[in-house]
Amino acid sequence: MKIQHAALLIASAFAVASTALAQPAAAPPAWQQGMGDKFKDSKLAPNAGRNTETPASDIPLDKLKVPAGFKLELWATGMPGARAMVRGDKGKIYIGTRGIGRVYELTDDGAKRTSRVVVDKLVQPSGVAIQGSTLYVMAIDKMLRFDDIESNPSVAAVDMTDKFSIPPEQHHNWKYLAFGPDKKLYVPFGAPCNICEPPEQYAQIRRYNPDGSGMEVIARGVRNTQGFDWHPKTGELWFTDHGRDWMGDDGPQDELNRMPKSGLNFGYPYCHAEGIVDPDVKKADACKDVTKPVALMGPHAAVMGIKFYTGDMYPAEYKNSMFIARKGSWNRTKRFGYDVVNVRASADGKNVKVTPFLTGFLDTKDNAFSGRPTYILQMPDGALLISDEQLGAIYRVSYVGPAKKK
Amino acid sequence: MHHTLHAGRWAAMLIALFTSLSFAQGSAPAESAKPIAMTFTERVQICASCHGADGNSQTNNIPSIAGQPRIFIENVLVLIREGLRSNEVMQAVTKGMSDQDIVALAKHFSALPMQSTPGEPDTALQQRGRLLASKLRCASCHEANFKGRAQMPRLAAQREEVLLTKLIAFRDKPKPGTDTIMNATLHGVKDDELKALAHFLAHVR
Repeated sequence: MKIQHAALLIASAFAVASTALAQPAAAPPAWQQGMGDKFKDSKLAPNAGRNTETPASDIPLDKLKVPAGFKLELWATGMPGARAMVRGDKGKIYIGTRGIGRVYELTDDGAKRTSRVVVDKLVQPSGVAIQGSTLYVMAIDKMLRFDDIESNPSVAAVDMTDKFSIPPEQHHNWKYLAFGPDKKLYVPFGAPCNICEPPEQYAQIRRYNPDGSGMEVIARGVRNTQGFDWHPKTGELWFTDHGRDWMGDDGPQDELNRMPKSGLNFGYPYCHAEGIVDPDVKKADACKDVTKPVALMGPHAAVMGIKFYTGDMYPAEYKNSMFIARKGSWNRTKRFGYDVVNVRASADGKNVKVTPFLTGFLDTKDNAFSGRPTYILQMPDGALLISDEQLGAIYRVSYVGPAKKK
Repeated sequence: MHHTLHAGRWAAMLIALFTSLSFAQGSAPAESAKPIAMTFTERVQICASCHGADGNSQTNNIPSIAGQPRIFIENVLVLIREGLRSNEVMQAVTKGMSDQDIVALAKHFSALPMQSTPGEPDTALQQRGRLLASKLRCASCHEANFKGRAQMPRLAAQREEVLLTKLIAFRDKPKPGTDTIMNATLHGVKDDELKALAHFLAHVR
């Protein structure tokens, strides 16, 4: 009897809470645009993430493969949704997430890693960047700065949101952040849809002074970049970009782009990949003056983090080559990606060669996956850390010596 | 009725829950609601006290959770515990839940069988809802039988008023921490259409 009474009380409290939250409708969506009638019975849907800790014993390390001479180890676990990683001057690592709303801080004492939540309750705080020990966190609707956080773990965040002119749409507006060689902060603003004429503030990359002043739009026609880095020799920006969905299993493929100067147009929404004209959003000369990608990175691969390797640990042929994480497909009947590849190219973007580097997450027989490699961080010793968003884990890949001859 | 809990302890847990609720609604800091350690059986009992002993709710505005996909239940509990979703009662309930508790509860309730909604549907309303479900392509994610999968909930035989409240909330209030696909799907759909959709889905068997 008591129990029933409690339930009624709770029910009425809930009803009050829900009514109080009603707000005006959002802007018209472009979701159905591009999902043509031939897909009306498709069961493809975004892959479910995991928001709870995955115990180390459940991570299938024995299935993962790296090239001969390299060693893979499970370096940290217990951080659901772990994505982009940045390392402060004093060695602490900060890690963004999306759905779970947290930013983690990871401390390495040499023997083991421990993590804590720096900030939570944010709307997809996937953007993290660091200058010295000052951490910048960008959520879809917020920009926060944590001064000298490595020394002051409980420092209050400075809310910089007003300085960054953040537009309201959520879709594709979770961030990747990075400081360029010019000490400016680079921020993407993705297309708020699968395929649409994006409003003025979207489908672009901007850069700002760290305080939010001096904003410039440096690239347009960029659908959804979730990773970029600068070439160690030329200082040019290279970035990954996700191709559109609902055009079938084969593409348009994800892109690896090079930006030799600012002001270029990378094609979205009219022209994709190697020059595929969009069937839904049309204009004359769709591919005119569009900068084409230096490489196609696979259909629906979800290309994420990109890192030019500048360390001394790996064999010399890896120097200045790229490592690129492909988180893996959802809008494709046969799964694709779920790996990290090594990409070699000349500085002008020619002679591209893509080679598997970390594989074994994808089970092609069952069309299933175990993990989703997402971002890459180079450590001072030259080893790479690779985050796995699905399993909330970080792997370390080191080079241990010449491949053994068999 | 099967009361396996010691009456005193049960009362203490409910008092803790409601004390934290009154604080949550006032201005006192959330830390005044101290979580108390509970066994798994006790946690299941707390859930069952509102959502039904077998996870099929008999109470207005309380959703049925039996037969919901495991990942869906995990996600909801995590998002509420993390404070990303506004639901004061459930925030009090999830306070102090570990990830392991959440995984175990999701496993438990996802394995319970759902019950059909009693009573006969209004066939005209049901048919309008069926057509709308087809037009909006609900089945492409929630499955042809609307039993849900992975992060996408079971809609079949959910309580009608719960479905309607959720549909309206998705249309009117984008929810942080999730994909925007439901907001987009329901954009511009009128209240009476949503009523028909809720009626249809509640009566899927």
